[in-house]
Amino acid sequence: MSDEEDLETQALQRQLDDAFQTTRPRRGFEDELWSKIQARRPWWQTARAFFAALIGGIRHVPPAPAAAVAILLVLVLGIGLLGSLGRRGGAGGGATSLSQGAQRGGAGYNPVAGDFGRLPMPFLLAGSGVNDAAPPRAVSAAPAQARANNLYFGPANLTWAGQLNVAASSAPVYRFQAPSVDDANKFATSIGAAAQPGQADLSILGSYSSPDFTLTVAYGSKVPNREPFYFLTPTANSSAPGSTAADVAGAYLTTHRLTPIWPSSVVVDQSGSRVQLLRQFDVAGVGPVFLIDGVGDRYGLDVHLNGNNVVQIKGPMPLLAPSAGYRIISAGQAVQSALASSPSGVDRITPTPTVRLTSAELVYALVWAGDHSFYEPAYLFSGTFSYNGTTYTKRVLVPAVDPSQLLP
Amino acid sequence: MPADRPPFEDIYREFVGRIYAYVRAQVMSSADAEDITAQVFMNAYQAYPRFETRNTTPAAWLFRIARNATLDHFRAHGRRERLQRTVEHQPMDEHDPAGMAEERIRYQALLSHVARLPERQRDAISLRHSGLTFEEVGVLMKCSEDAAKMLYHRALKVLRESVKEEMA
Repeated sequence: MSDEEDLETQALQRQLDDAFQTTRPRRGFEDELWSKIQARRPWWQTARAFFAALIGGIRHVPPAPAAAVAILLVLVLGIGLLGSLGRRGGAGGGATSLSQGAQRGGAGYNPVAGDFGRLPMPFLLAGSGVNDAAPPRAVSAAPAQARANNLYFGPANLTWAGQLNVAASSAPVYRFQAPSVDDANKFATSIGAAAQPGQADLSILGSYSSPDFTLTVAYGSKVPNREPFYFLTPTANSSAPGSTAADVAGAYLTTHRLTPIWPSSVVVDQSGSRVQLLRQFDVAGVGPVFLIDGVGDRYGLDVHLNGNNVVQIKGPMPLLAPSAGYRIISAGQAVQSALASSPSGVDRITPTPTVRLTSAELVYALVWAGDHSFYEPAYLFSGTFSYNGTTYTKRVLVPAVDPSQLLP
Repeated sequence: MPADRPPFEDIYREFVGRIYAYVRAQVMSSADAEDITAQVFMNAYQAYPRFETRNTTPAAWLFRIARNATLDHFRAHGRRERLQRTVEHQPMDEHDPAGMAEERIRYQALLSHVARLPERQRDAISLRHSGLTFEEVGVLMKCSEDAAKMLYHRALKVLRESVKEEMA
């Protein structure tokens, strides 16, 4: 195979990866189907699950006479009902609305604890499993490069042999609201694109076109963990000036008013065909901190190139994301939590591997929560181990926000 | 439930999108893909008490069910009709808004090329890019890991030529 064919094949594989990762059912399908599955449960299973959850929730209560337990159950049920009714009124609690400046993640945020209320926890997405005999497999919902890293998310005996120093006791949490079709329209208009006729639909926010590109804006999703994003595909005039791939990408983004307002670090792949603007968040006392995806890889905005021509751009839809300051745990507490963590995936190998976690850093992770989603600080630990002659990477994500500010 | 078996909801939430994408690459309509995906998870839910993590991975188990459900769909609805539609590259039904929406998504064209591949090649590409290892692809397709790799690379070559032809 010639070099050119090899490159074409690699490009095709990347497109296939993207195609399979981005093809998802329409919004709402997942919950609808789950409701149907639940409806098929026999009533005694539903009742058993309910009481198991209830008893699990009050397991820490000391032994008490049966009558007292009965009264407690009635109270718990009543309070639970009232609580659930109350929660429907407004998700997210008493968040403060901050200025556009807060979106930049800079020094403008005011570290007042817990303005968004208690937060959902960030986590790495589980990989699909391995059986006892097979080598561990990478997280298959991950991009190709993550698969190539041989990530393992199953059980492991963890030790710590690294250094972690974080000179901050608080960090901003960012929250954004799920965009509407109107928001997507405004974004498209801001870069000179108009909606294609008859485009209202269920699975994407909108499709647009301009004289020299087409644009698709899509919803965010929980799996894969992704914020609302856009694809821009040039249809004409896709060349941009520049002597390096980064320059070409930068020039095109500037011309089309797509340069992100968030801080980033630019990375170019070896072939010069992909430029990544890896998103960062500024944390006072720490500096720029990278955003990671569901498997712990850094990500942001991707520009695919063919020479001086832009082939495609994929990036997060620009959204207003006000911030609020939260207390974060110390490096020492993070290490303790990492070592005590349970596996995030269903991968499993036997015997359970021992992994020396050797590196750790403060990162930001997207926490998808439906109508509102968050960018939250977390500690990402990493270490490697060998199994059947292959080196695998184990990553552990520990929420940095103080546990008292996290939802169970 | 055995301790080593995760709750079914975890499996469901983790795989529903990937199973849908796999099925969507086989059939030409998002409505059909939803129906088949629903059938896959209904079947999986009923069979879950018998699922043994020692024997297979959740991914391989679910994709086997998905593969069988897709084949059942072709048998029930007529492979001939599907092939006809694929070859002629007919547009989606106008009354299928979800399908029309997906038609506009960036990679729809590429998946339609995948759907036009011969059955085994299509399966090799779809299973591999749904995240299965070649070993798992081989087990599902009843061939060796090496044979699965060869089949995949042959399929990739055919797909590359098909895409190039359309662009030419």
